[in-house]
Amino acid sequence: MDTNLAHKLSPQEERLINEFKGQGDKPSIRPRPLTILASFQAQTPTIDIERARLFTQSMRHTEGQPLTWRWATALSHIAEEITVWITPGQLIAGRAGKLGRYGILYPEIDGDFYPFVLQKLHERQKNTFNIDPHDAEVIASEVASFWKGRTFHELLNKALPPELRSVTYADPEGLRSKFVVSETSSYRSALQWVHDYEKVLKRGFLDIQAEMKAKLESLDPSSVIDMCEKKPFYEGAILVCEAIMVWAKRHAVLAKQEADRALEPGRKAELLKLASICERVPAYPARTFHEAVQSQWFVQLFSRLEQKASAVISNGRMDQYLLPYYQNDLQNGEIDDNRAKELLECLWVEMAQFVDLYINPTGNEFNEAYAHWEAVTIGGQTREGQDATNELSYLFLESKREFPLNYPDLAARIHARSPQRFLAEVALTIQDGSGFPKLINDEEIIPLYSAKGAPLPDILDYAVSGCTEARMPNRDTYTSGCVYINFATAIEFLFYNGRLKKYGHELIGLETGDPTKFNSWGEFYAAYQAQHLNLLNKAMAQQYIVDKIRPERFATPFASCLHDLCVKYAKDLQSPTIEEGFDISYFEFLGYGTVVDSLAAVKKLVYEDKKLTIEAIRAALEDDFLGHEKTLALLKGAPKYGNNDPYVDEIARRIDFISQKRAAEVSQERGIHIDLRYVPITSHVPFGRVVSATPNGRKAFTPLSDGSSASHGSDRNGPTAVLLSNHKSKNFHLTNRASRLLNIKLSPSCVQGEAGVLKIVELIRAWCDLKLWHVQFNIINRSTLLAAQKNPEAWRGLLVRIAGYSAYFCDLSPDLQSDIIERTEHSGF
Amino acid sequence: MAIKGVIFNIQKFSLHDGQGIRTIVFFKGCPLRCQWCSNPESQRPNPEVGFNPSLCLGSEVCGLCSRSCPSGAIKWLDGTLAFSRDICRHCFKCVDDCPTGARLKFGDYQEPGPILDQVESDGVFFNRSGGGLTISGGEALAQPEFALALLKEAKKRRLNTALETSGVCGFEILAQAASLLDGILYDLKHWSQAKHLRFTGQDNRLILDNLLRLSQMFPEKKIIARIPVIPGFNNTEEDLRKIIALIPNAPNIGVELLAYHRLGENKYAFLGRDYPYKGVKPDEAGFQKLKKTLLG
Repeated sequence: MDTNLAHKLSPQEERLINEFKGQGDKPSIRPRPLTILASFQAQTPTIDIERARLFTQSMRHTEGQPLTWRWATALSHIAEEITVWITPGQLIAGRAGKLGRYGILYPEIDGDFYPFVLQKLHERQKNTFNIDPHDAEVIASEVASFWKGRTFHELLNKALPPELRSVTYADPEGLRSKFVVSETSSYRSALQWVHDYEKVLKRGFLDIQAEMKAKLESLDPSSVIDMCEKKPFYEGAILVCEAIMVWAKRHAVLAKQEADRALEPGRKAELLKLASICERVPAYPARTFHEAVQSQWFVQLFSRLEQKASAVISNGRMDQYLLPYYQNDLQNGEIDDNRAKELLECLWVEMAQFVDLYINPTGNEFNEAYAHWEAVTIGGQTREGQDATNELSYLFLESKREFPLNYPDLAARIHARSPQRFLAEVALTIQDGSGFPKLINDEEIIPLYSAKGAPLPDILDYAVSGCTEARMPNRDTYTSGCVYINFATAIEFLFYNGRLKKYGHELIGLETGDPTKFNSWGEFYAAYQAQHLNLLNKAMAQQYIVDKIRPERFATPFASCLHDLCVKYAKDLQSPTIEEGFDISYFEFLGYGTVVDSLAAVKKLVYEDKKLTIEAIRAALEDDFLGHEKTLALLKGAPKYGNNDPYVDEIARRIDFISQKRAAEVSQERGIHIDLRYVPITSHVPFGRVVSATPNGRKAFTPLSDGSSASHGSDRNGPTAVLLSNHKSKNFHLTNRASRLLNIKLSPSCVQGEAGVLKIVELIRAWCDLKLWHVQFNIINRSTLLAAQKNPEAWRGLLVRIAGYSAYFCDLSPDLQSDIIERTEHSGF
Repeated sequence: MAIKGVIFNIQKFSLHDGQGIRTIVFFKGCPLRCQWCSNPESQRPNPEVGFNPSLCLGSEVCGLCSRSCPSGAIKWLDGTLAFSRDICRHCFKCVDDCPTGARLKFGDYQEPGPILDQVESDGVFFNRSGGGLTISGGEALAQPEFALALLKEAKKRRLNTALETSGVCGFEILAQAASLLDGILYDLKHWSQAKHLRFTGQDNRLILDNLLRLSQMFPEKKIIARIPVIPGFNNTEEDLRKIIALIPNAPNIGVELLAYHRLGENKYAFLGRDYPYKGVKPDEAGFQKLKKTLLG
């Protein structure tokens, strides 16, 4: 293993390597998944072009036909022709590309400019990829040439009217985002999705295909709708069912060939068993845990070959749909817990090799560190509203503790009656320090969706999807990549009359006039609100166009044949709306804390305490605070969101309110749900790069605040205050809201040992009572404390709690900080 | 008019001072002067001025404090601030005017109502954890009327209450407080009268006597005797065994050991005082070993 590449590793990976080197004999560590992990983990991913080439070949020949049928035909071609793979040593078959870490291409999205980008790919600062020079030529000659003029990206670029283009793109090609009102639909064909895997495990594709055949048979030959709309849908569905079965069986053949070649009898037997499993699933129902896991993986992987559903397809409620197979195998002595964990971990390392590849430079900016989120949901409630925790829920947590890889993304559904043991094991896993699982709150999501009109059994059975969303696999419809709105620019527009320093004299916002002429906070706020709503209106219009044209370029017959409503109404899941379906569209709030803190500082210091003038603030902002230290100190000392301070939390609530209220009006007009999210992933960094200094004391072009978390380092009252500010800034009486991403960092001295586990449990219970959507607790580890020592600005809020004493880590001298670091180590963290 | 007390901090999300997630109200003023004290701002009874030079912008850029001081206690020598504490009239104008928070005010006169409003805002965390209010210090019972008024009001608001005490107070007060408390954290520092006197300014007779009487009068009350393990003072197995032996043997009394730390060191500098324990480093490994030997 090449440890010189350690700088490329995530903390989790690094930790795993160390364990592998130092304590590889630890009985809880299973060698197989670790060996597979070691084979690829520090690699720069390679681009595999087969999917793109085969997809293009087929699409070239079917132009003019119904899109869903064309897509199905292309998938059949891929299934028959694409190279099939078994990773050496694996118990699970199937990859979507060559060995090692890899990404695949979706030219239907943005293939028109591949040649241009692929040439320069090696120059990228982050998320670099390797591509074989011959493959790059094939892409230019066979793939890009066809897609020029046919991609979604080009269609959108042409469809946006000038007033929307000017806030969306920074170049005429529509490749570079302006990071003001950004679209995210031109580098993915939909937002996150999760399939009804249980359907496949229970029925198998032969049975699903039979249903499609019956539907086709029953169409009325005299009906034009039946013949022109429904017939191609069912024909496509029959094709994709066939395709996945053909593709799976090719793995059975490969496994047999490899078994023939295998010298070691143990491996030979494994491969023969794998062959018989691939012979059976996913065509037939799964009978064993191993078959179920393999079947699930085939579905997931085939789905990736079908299209780029944002941060890939989630795993759904694995502890629910895998339970019968696990129990049955346990009873029959077929598996034990160790074997079950090994199989799951084999799946995790397979997921970790598939990289969510962004060719589009903007998409690349949005997603740091090759991140992807195949959320596995555990816990929660049954369709009947009973607690759903089971033995498998605990097994997943145990696996995460023993094998803390960052894939998959583990998500625990929490509700008021979650068993104490479940919360304690969740807390134990959090305490382990890898940041998993993240928590999603049934007590917020279920009543909210119910109020929006979701059927109770469906929402009780939701699966976490993507980063923090809830999905009803047979009720939700596809969601376009959503609009990201940089509301921190609204603050800057106020000071520079609708302009951004970054973009010079171009008028991007509204001309709200000279702010020094505002006589009251009321006038200042009214101008802010005008800027805010102007951005929001542009975002709503942009998203409308995206939603409207998406089905012209994308279809998804495979995902559709697994969706009850699509099958019932013969509609592709990419349709803008589906009868009985739940159509959601999101808009993303960037810079919540930045905006709220800026407004609070102006209100307090200018209009109430009169310690500063707008002139003084503007002068300080123009100079990025250089030479304005006193002004900066006052701005930093103003009330800050995240401290349970009603003064500023009320401003936060109002901002949330005006956003949701506008969304409600547009929702009404469009007849869908348009919901406010605060889930930036890592995009608060690039969005910050276009915003100059802000009155909360933030330096020019530095990151904005993250999600609904407090601005960097401004939460000075600990996690309970952060949670309370989040609660108080919510508008529980409105329904146009969705996820708020909330990260809370705890220093290990707060939550050590068994007592610490209980404290985390108590914090989780209170979070659940507060009806906050999401929280992720990160226990700071030694390396983070060292980072905080170096870069105190970013870690101002990091609290150290010891009996009878508390302090901010960064306020301590380096010598004293070392005491804390030492303490952290000694306590066996 | 409601009674006021001097409070120097209200600390949320406290995890190590009583049951559950608690909010601690720190009272200013203490009868002891423990040499290792990590909260020197807690010792004197009245509000006082502190100064954190690392946040100061200097006279060139700012200089607001020296201009606002009515008694001329703040002067600049070569751009650095010189503060004459003996002239300071404790008006705290410099603190109000300081833009960076370099000038600090330790301690504030506050009424029970607004304090408890703040504490109660954390109620959702108490509900689930059995947490609540802890009063600490300094020595909370050095402000007896105020402490009792606060506890009475807290009980009216159905808050779980705990006291962290040095045990240095009249027994009457302690007993009255105990009747309003759900739990008591009771510090024990040394078995030796002489050593106790030398390191804290008082001997241990009143402390031990109060603990004994408390345990007899309130056999049901949850009491945790807490021993700070201090290098050069009591950090030997023998000393600790002797201290533990002094704890009345009763089912309602538990024992905890607290590790020494020197994280309050910078606050001594803020107050213009010397840290008596300067240079004494914590011995985390030694502490863990003692803890394991003595408490298992």
